[in-house]
Amino acid sequence: MSSESTHEWSDECRAALRRLESYLDGELGDLTKGRLRQHLEDCAPCTDRVGFEGQLRALVRQGCFDEAPAALRDRIRNHLDELTAT
Amino acid sequence: MRRDLSDAQRRARFEAEVLPYLDRLYSAALRYTRDPTDAEDLVQETIAKAFRSFHQYREGTNLRAWLYRVLHTTYISMYRKAQRRPQESLQDEIDDFSFYDEVSRNTGGSAEREVLEALTADEVKEALAGLPESFRVAVYLADVEGFAYKEIAEIMDTPVGTVMSRLHRGRKALQQALATYARARGLIDTPSGG
Repeated sequence: MSSESTHEWSDECRAALRRLESYLDGELGDLTKGRLRQHLEDCAPCTDRVGFEGQLRALVRQGCFDEAPAALRDRIRNHLDELTAT
Repeated sequence: MRRDLSDAQRRARFEAEVLPYLDRLYSAALRYTRDPTDAEDLVQETIAKAFRSFHQYREGTNLRAWLYRVLHTTYISMYRKAQRRPQESLQDEIDDFSFYDEVSRNTGGSAEREVLEALTADEVKEALAGLPESFRVAVYLADVEGFAYKEIAEIMDTPVGTVMSRLHRGRKALQQALATYARARGLIDTPSGG
């Protein structure tokens, strides 16, 4: 196993990684978030990791967009016509 | 207050406020049903239900979350009633998986971003489609729609703690599937001594 790019994670790093998911979800309280950001400022490997996870979410977000078919749009309008006609 | 609106006004208001979400509702319906025809039916029924109960929606509250709640319950009544679902789970080993570690171990450092850039929308959709329903839906609502844990809990009618664990494990499983595609395409090496 090549270990040139694997980084020795400190306790602080491990604490940061445990909170990474909640952090990216925008679910951390201000205090914890502040502490995490402070750590990220000092730690390039953790910052790299956050960037990767963030990019991954962007990939999922962009990958899951589908335009509604025009026929569906028409069907819905017709259906609404029926529902309002009665 | 809504009751005072004429039918035409109610209709106009509904169209103006709800139909802009049609693409997103359809995208979500595709993730729920994994079938384009079923997705269309689900969206149509969701819109009809939302229209009928639009007077229950309180202005100023989150319309998008309300619509997804309607979508979710409609999905359950249309598609889940018939099937007897086994308890959904993911393997325990999933907790140890990290796509980041796989990528950084098997590529030269800065290529991590390129691996993600090389993955296609179809691969993402397929990876998500492979997750058990409750995990798939939670991940979709969080990562694509950006709903908060509390909102997802309300949409899926489940405790927040359950949402968090589904998200955590669902994302791991999603990453594992994406790593498989990346490996199959030679974007990352097969792990040694796996």
